[in-house]
Amino acid sequence: MKLYRKEGNILQILSYPGETVEKGDYLLVEDADAGRALIVQVIDVQFASIPGVLEELLRSLPDEGELIKGEDVDPLEIAPHISYIQDASLLICKIRATAENDSLNPSSSWLPSRSQSTIKKLPLPTLQKLAKIDGKLPIVIGGTKDSSLLTIDATSLDGRLNIITGKKETGKSHLSKLLMVNLVGYKATIVVFDLNGEYLSLGLTGDGKRNANYDKIHVLTPSQNFKLALKQLNLHVMLGILIHALHLPGTSAREFRRIWIALKERDNLTLHELGETIRNWNCNQHVRDALFSRYHALVNSGIFTDNIAEATSLEEYLLKTREHGGAIIMNLRNTSSIDRQIVVEYILGKLVESLSNSKLKAVFLFAEEAHLYLRETYWDDIVTRMRHFGIFTTFITNQPDTIRENIYRQADNIFLFNFTNEHDLDVVSRAARVDAETVRSIARDLPPHHCLALGRAVRDFPIVARVKALDVKTMGETRLFFTSSINQ
Amino acid sequence: MDTTLPHQFIELSLHSLKHAPDHVFQLNQQNVQQFNTLDFHDETLKLKLEPLPLIPSCKEKIVAAVDTSTIKIGETSTGIVIAVRGANVWKQNKRYRYVRFGPFIFHITEENKKQVCETLEGTYFNSLYEHSHQGAPSILQMPTRIASLLERWLQTMAAKTMNNGLILFDGSLTAGTAETPTHRLKEILDRAREGDNVVLAFSKMTNLRANGHRITDLLPDHKPPFLLETEGLRLKPPMVLLGEVYVAKLNKGNLAFRLDIDKEVPSKPRIEAVEKLLGNDLFAESYPETLRLAHILCTFTANEVLAVQHFVTRRFGLQIINRPDMHRLLFGAFGKGEGYS
Repeated sequence: MKLYRKEGNILQILSYPGETVEKGDYLLVEDADAGRALIVQVIDVQFASIPGVLEELLRSLPDEGELIKGEDVDPLEIAPHISYIQDASLLICKIRATAENDSLNPSSSWLPSRSQSTIKKLPLPTLQKLAKIDGKLPIVIGGTKDSSLLTIDATSLDGRLNIITGKKETGKSHLSKLLMVNLVGYKATIVVFDLNGEYLSLGLTGDGKRNANYDKIHVLTPSQNFKLALKQLNLHVMLGILIHALHLPGTSAREFRRIWIALKERDNLTLHELGETIRNWNCNQHVRDALFSRYHALVNSGIFTDNIAEATSLEEYLLKTREHGGAIIMNLRNTSSIDRQIVVEYILGKLVESLSNSKLKAVFLFAEEAHLYLRETYWDDIVTRMRHFGIFTTFITNQPDTIRENIYRQADNIFLFNFTNEHDLDVVSRAARVDAETVRSIARDLPPHHCLALGRAVRDFPIVARVKALDVKTMGETRLFFTSSINQ
Repeated sequence: MDTTLPHQFIELSLHSLKHAPDHVFQLNQQNVQQFNTLDFHDETLKLKLEPLPLIPSCKEKIVAAVDTSTIKIGETSTGIVIAVRGANVWKQNKRYRYVRFGPFIFHITEENKKQVCETLEGTYFNSLYEHSHQGAPSILQMPTRIASLLERWLQTMAAKTMNNGLILFDGSLTAGTAETPTHRLKEILDRAREGDNVVLAFSKMTNLRANGHRITDLLPDHKPPFLLETEGLRLKPPMVLLGEVYVAKLNKGNLAFRLDIDKEVPSKPRIEAVEKLLGNDLFAESYPETLRLAHILCTFTANEVLAVQHFVTRRFGLQIINRPDMHRLLFGAFGKGEGYS
């Protein structure tokens, strides 16, 4: 390999046949005299612009559909040299860092010698060692192309905003399960908004047996084993549900506040009493109607109950996970859009409350397709205010444009699966810790179950890995029409 | 087609490279131009403006064509490194086939140029170099000399192995020059005739003029295909013309070519040979496809020049350096170097 040119932080390297370099590989451009080396990553492999190639291709054009057949008497064996030159490739590389005296810095301001530099492949284990990617709390993401393991440190997810994205059936949920299982293993508290019921069996092995995490996985299904008594809610959370999930107007919300306070003072905060109070409350008829319609929505959701024995204490579950770690899976499958929002409003409100009271240290929140239940104002809230309370969110989506641009800008880690759509790639490439060329070039060619890890977890050295298999019972599979018809 | 290549050619090629005296090799992308020095203005030449109309004959005939190419690869302190390649293309059963020979690479110096010529001539044609002509060619003439030797050998092979076909040469049938001794071309034409072949030579460029005008420019307003006959062309001895010279306009388009057809073939079969060619080959701008392919297949592309340079540096340890362009060096922006000519 030979250095060809450098433009900004893009290095072009001429590579000859036999030097098998592919997209995503790392190269070390070492200038022994300067005592430094550039660490670059191949983001594209192109044909080298060889003069005369067009003529050669034209020369071999078919003769009426068939190649012109012939014999080449080449006693000096020049043909391999011709192929050698013709097959030379140009590696478009992104400069990631400068290595000097066993330390790395992100500088690309110096120019290695074109004639004296040596270029060799940098094995990923060496890079991981140099960049100190693995840590004290390792999470093995999977295997890399050169058969080494991509191991990240769990602390790189701590206090961070993460995004897992890629098109359908590329392995996003699989990776999020892997992260969850590992975080639970490190005694972390996890809350999952499970839209498709994919995480319900985290506590079971592939063949349905209980695994080591069985007792740490708590699946809560609204209106089944997740019910709330009004007494469990504080006014702030209830108003959040009414205003944001049920769109209660401001005037009506003020009347509701009065009703709530009155009921609380009488220690009569039940669903039945709430209905009765609204009926008899001295207020404008429109306000009463508005309050009644929301009241019925609450009743019909099936989430609220007056039976204290059947009410769920989220706080208890959270406290259970505090000692030994655990995951609370909010099963939002088969839950209506409004009910989902009610649940999410309650959970987020309760989490903030528990964290601000220091009942919990921190929570890792995994939110699948969050645009389906997260209200507009929560996006900013999650990445700013809630993060300070200790809610560290991981968004999982196959529609990257549903996540706001400012979320991408503040994302600390992105686990990117295959995308072929230019628009999707454009959206993801807005992330601050990613360069657009890398995303566009590498993500497009990722095979299924391979992810490109970007950000803090990999110390800003984008690495492709095949996500390792997990012995967890698969859930959330799409129900098919033809499979069942054929089997019958 | 006989493809047995004399070992001498390969051995000479390798031998000359092994003895490159210094290990410095200067790049030079200049092509060796093969100027046609054989054509000249003859005031006695007349062009008959009455066209001989041609009717394509579709009776199946093998059409074969021969061409060679040479290029200067670089310079050493004592000489030049050149590459030579030749191609035989033939059309049979409506399909084109080819045999390509080379590239052969030679390091030509003042010391070895005579030996190279002698050995090649002796090997190919069993004739002594001294008998062919006097005086060794200059180093600059050597590429065309070696290419010419390879071309004549390929033509001999085609003439020997083909029967009842049409053999197309690139250039004219003028002989008696250092590169084309009369007896050699005569021998090739004789061989071809023995196998009932007719040799037709197409010149891409000609300087032959009639009434001061290039003969290929003096075309009557007649629907192609047709031939124009010439008469009165006399060459200065020792040069001789072994072909009858025509101007051929074989299909629509702007171009016409000088066409030499073996003189020993009677007039009628000569014309019939062109008609058979019309019926058996494709034409673009009056130029036969078989000959065009032969030219394309032997021409060196820039990539191949790089490959040959790669070969000589790897195999023979010649170190490549870039020679400063004197034109650029002396005249700056006004110096259009060799590469810009």
